[in-house]
Amino acid sequence: MFKNYLKIAWRNLLRNKGFSLLNIIGLSIGLAVVTLIVLWINFEVSYDRFHENNDRVYQVNNQYPVDGEIWTWNSTPKIMASVIAKDYPEVENVSRYNYEDTFLFSIGDKRIKSTGSIVDPDFLKIFSFPLVEGNIETVLKDVNSVVVTQKLAEKLFGNESPIGKILKVDNADSFTVTGVLKDLPRNTTFNFEFLMPWAYLHQKGWNDDYWSNNSVATYVMLKSGTNYEIFSKKIKSLRERYDKESPEMETLLYPFERTYLYSKFENGIEVGGRIDIIRLFGIIAGIILIIACINFMNLSTARSEKRAKEVGVRKVIGAKKGALVSQFLGESILISSIAAFLAILIVWASLPSFNTLIERELSLNFTDKWFWLSAVGIVLFTGVLAGSYPALYLSSFKPVSVIKGVFKKESTLVSPRKVLVVLQFSIAIILITATIVVNQQLVNVQDRDLGYNKDKLVYIAMEGTIKEKYPLIKEALLNSGAATAVTRTVSPPTENWSNSWDIGWKGKKEDDKTLILRFTADTDIVKTLGLELVAGRDLDHIRFPTDSTAMLINETAMRHMGFEQPIGQQVEDMGRQWNVVGVVKDFILTSPFQKIEPIIIHSAGEWTNFITLKLNGEYKTAHNIASLSQIFKEYNPEYPFEYEFVDQQYAKKFNDEKQTGQLVSLFTVLTIFISCLGLFGLTSYMAENRIKEIGVRKVLGATVQSITTLLSVDFLKLVLISIVLAIPVSWYFMTKWLESFAYKVTISWWFFALAGVLALAIAFLTVSYQAIKAAIANPVKSLRTE
Amino acid sequence: MLLQLNNIFKWVNSGGQRIFLLKDINLNVNEGEFISIMGPSGSGKSTLLNVIGMLDGFDEGEYHFLEESVHSLKEKHRANLYKEYIGFVFQSYHLLDELTVKENLEMPLLYKKFKGSERKAMVADMLDRFNIVGKKDLFPAQLSGGQQQLVGIARALISNPKLILADEPTGNLNSAQGEEIMELFKKLNEEDGVTIIQVTHSEKNAAYGSRIINLLDGRKV
Repeated sequence: MFKNYLKIAWRNLLRNKGFSLLNIIGLSIGLAVVTLIVLWINFEVSYDRFHENNDRVYQVNNQYPVDGEIWTWNSTPKIMASVIAKDYPEVENVSRYNYEDTFLFSIGDKRIKSTGSIVDPDFLKIFSFPLVEGNIETVLKDVNSVVVTQKLAEKLFGNESPIGKILKVDNADSFTVTGVLKDLPRNTTFNFEFLMPWAYLHQKGWNDDYWSNNSVATYVMLKSGTNYEIFSKKIKSLRERYDKESPEMETLLYPFERTYLYSKFENGIEVGGRIDIIRLFGIIAGIILIIACINFMNLSTARSEKRAKEVGVRKVIGAKKGALVSQFLGESILISSIAAFLAILIVWASLPSFNTLIERELSLNFTDKWFWLSAVGIVLFTGVLAGSYPALYLSSFKPVSVIKGVFKKESTLVSPRKVLVVLQFSIAIILITATIVVNQQLVNVQDRDLGYNKDKLVYIAMEGTIKEKYPLIKEALLNSGAATAVTRTVSPPTENWSNSWDIGWKGKKEDDKTLILRFTADTDIVKTLGLELVAGRDLDHIRFPTDSTAMLINETAMRHMGFEQPIGQQVEDMGRQWNVVGVVKDFILTSPFQKIEPIIIHSAGEWTNFITLKLNGEYKTAHNIASLSQIFKEYNPEYPFEYEFVDQQYAKKFNDEKQTGQLVSLFTVLTIFISCLGLFGLTSYMAENRIKEIGVRKVLGATVQSITTLLSVDFLKLVLISIVLAIPVSWYFMTKWLESFAYKVTISWWFFALAGVLALAIAFLTVSYQAIKAAIANPVKSLRTE
Repeated sequence: MLLQLNNIFKWVNSGGQRIFLLKDINLNVNEGEFISIMGPSGSGKSTLLNVIGMLDGFDEGEYHFLEESVHSLKEKHRANLYKEYIGFVFQSYHLLDELTVKENLEMPLLYKKFKGSERKAMVADMLDRFNIVGKKDLFPAQLSGGQQQLVGIARALISNPKLILADEPTGNLNSAQGEEIMELFKKLNEEDGVTIIQVTHSEKNAAYGSRIINLLDGRKV
């Protein structure tokens, strides 16, 4: 029996090549997209899930009300870890994790820069990063010991065993390699190639015991059997006993495995995070799968008239309804299997470019039994979902009516097929609107006035001997003509590394806890960045020796501090009195999507970490960079010369939104394509069904144009209904999406108009081909067929 | 007695009027009979055949088929009954275009859950009996009308029905082919004892039967 079904199904496929092609292509594209999204979601969800002790590993967070809103953040004082270890016997292991830093490793003549972190010895016991060589108890015991990953070991030592080898770090300290870690899996939030012991921080004098300096991550692992609820209550008030400045700040344990996907807090409550985008694309995957299945149903039922005879004959010679249902389901499962096979090919071919787009490295794992299980599952699910309606519809035909040839096709006002088309096009229109809104938002924010000129702006980290030779280097840079202005900054101009509400000025309100961003710079900051002065002057240590206590503020800070006459005002921060010498126009230091915060710029060259300079526009960039390279080689010979362009770094701030935009556009195009395949198939069947009517109309004198209109109008009506349905839905969702941005595009009526017109135009093109084809056919031919 | 129709009425309502398709039909059919139903277009021949074949219902009257009261049976039982005892032959053959001759013959057996070996034997037997062994792997479209009808009859016969219902079996055939088919029916009736009820327009074909029933406007005349 099964063989017979298969045979019929296969021969049917071959006989209706066009139809089968439409059906299979539509379904396989749908399945391919779903597979890509599922692979991606799978990867994202697997982040940080591989640690064996995850059920008792927590990140230490702080909570504190600012301006009546509870703020949550995850950096802690360095001293926190030792207090936790001392006071709480429930804690088995605790480790700090210093934010990743880049060091220069040298061995012989080899110089390699690598990024890693400084941690407590417990780190490797908390997290499952297995050692390939070395003893977990002792690898980080000695001050000058370092654990490297296999990748770094190979870069440094080639194939030799790294254990016991001596390395020079930053040209200063000698370290012994005590362990080799297996390379980190891709799905971890940590990013280090080496680990050094915390004792090294002490040795360098970089450690501190200030409760107000929240600058490292702290992780704890509870003893097994510890009740999290009870313990979290206990640890909540930790700061009351130690922190003199903010004893009311709460200490919070946050499950580590949630940090990647969920750690967005609003008012002390977890409100999502990366999981939002994952959910969004999960929904899109579902929608695309549904659209592809709708296509399948529509095309199959539309063709059912053709198969009515077969159903009738089968029933008359003994088929039960169940047998017919399973036959048609079998057929749709066959088609979905073929589509799934094609989909795998599509996925395999498109995975590299998809990976580039989402900046991940996904792969198809053919040896994984889950891969095959889910493939079979998806084939069955799609086959049954897509085939159920045609199967039930076809098998319920009454044999006598079919045999007698009086089989009537449905002609009701609201037929399931029409509902499906409307659903399909509504979704397509919603996606078109989403594409327009996302891209408009992106363009809008990219066009936002940055407040400084990012062109030809370069920054260079001050490593090795750069810091001490800065004055010489600055002079050399300016003399070479490669740079027109040079200054020093605490961070790249696109980043903010420090903020505080503990900043004082005359007239500050008692309860003012607004965060103010700190930036630190040196002489010529305004000139170099191209900031616009609203009042006062640029920083200049040469002309004004007192500028070591000078400060620039931005307009927002000026307004916030309520300065009528900002120049000459005193601002207190970091234990110093600063003298405001200038006000700059607002500029974007953090996110271009958010409103501009108050910013203060200390004039303190000794706190800076980067040289920021403006390249000379008269020379080619390559020429300028060559001059720069020469100068830095001369003054800092131990380090390779590295630099970044500010405009490139600024562009990275749009990466997430750009990615969202590209993905939404991609999925929109695919959805429309699949929908059009379906519409195309439907029109062709409709035209075929009405061939006699068309013939009669033509004989009676209808023009090609009037017949084309007649055939198209029905479908275009459906698209119009879809537009009406889609507008409120997309308006709602896009308004929600935009809520997370302070600086946003206003949703305009033309977004919807454009989406609607696009959908109509696409539908019209699809439908009209078949309509015109039917309309210009010779009526004698069509009438003779009856 | 194979079947018995008592006072069968069938009607449709159209524009407030009741139009009778069958009116007070009484009919007894014994096993081994060969009956021809005749009448002009629209006289109810096919409707009567469909009622006998249980493909169509009726509004009033009684229908007994092999001790079963068809009029009081549920749809499902009725379907089981005709599937077991009745074979259908159609004017336009109604072979499945996607299946070969052999596969078309095999299909009823598949639905009756015969074993593979049995099916093979029965199909081979039938091909042999109808002299179409050489055509077994051809598709319907590759056969002439007469040959297709031959396959249609073979398919109706393969599960050994007690009754064959044929709706203008020669309607689409030329006279030579038609004669061949009628001879075959006669042979089946006389040699194998198959009961046959056929609908026909042709006096000549009707004469092959042992009894002729004439219909006019849904009535027996």
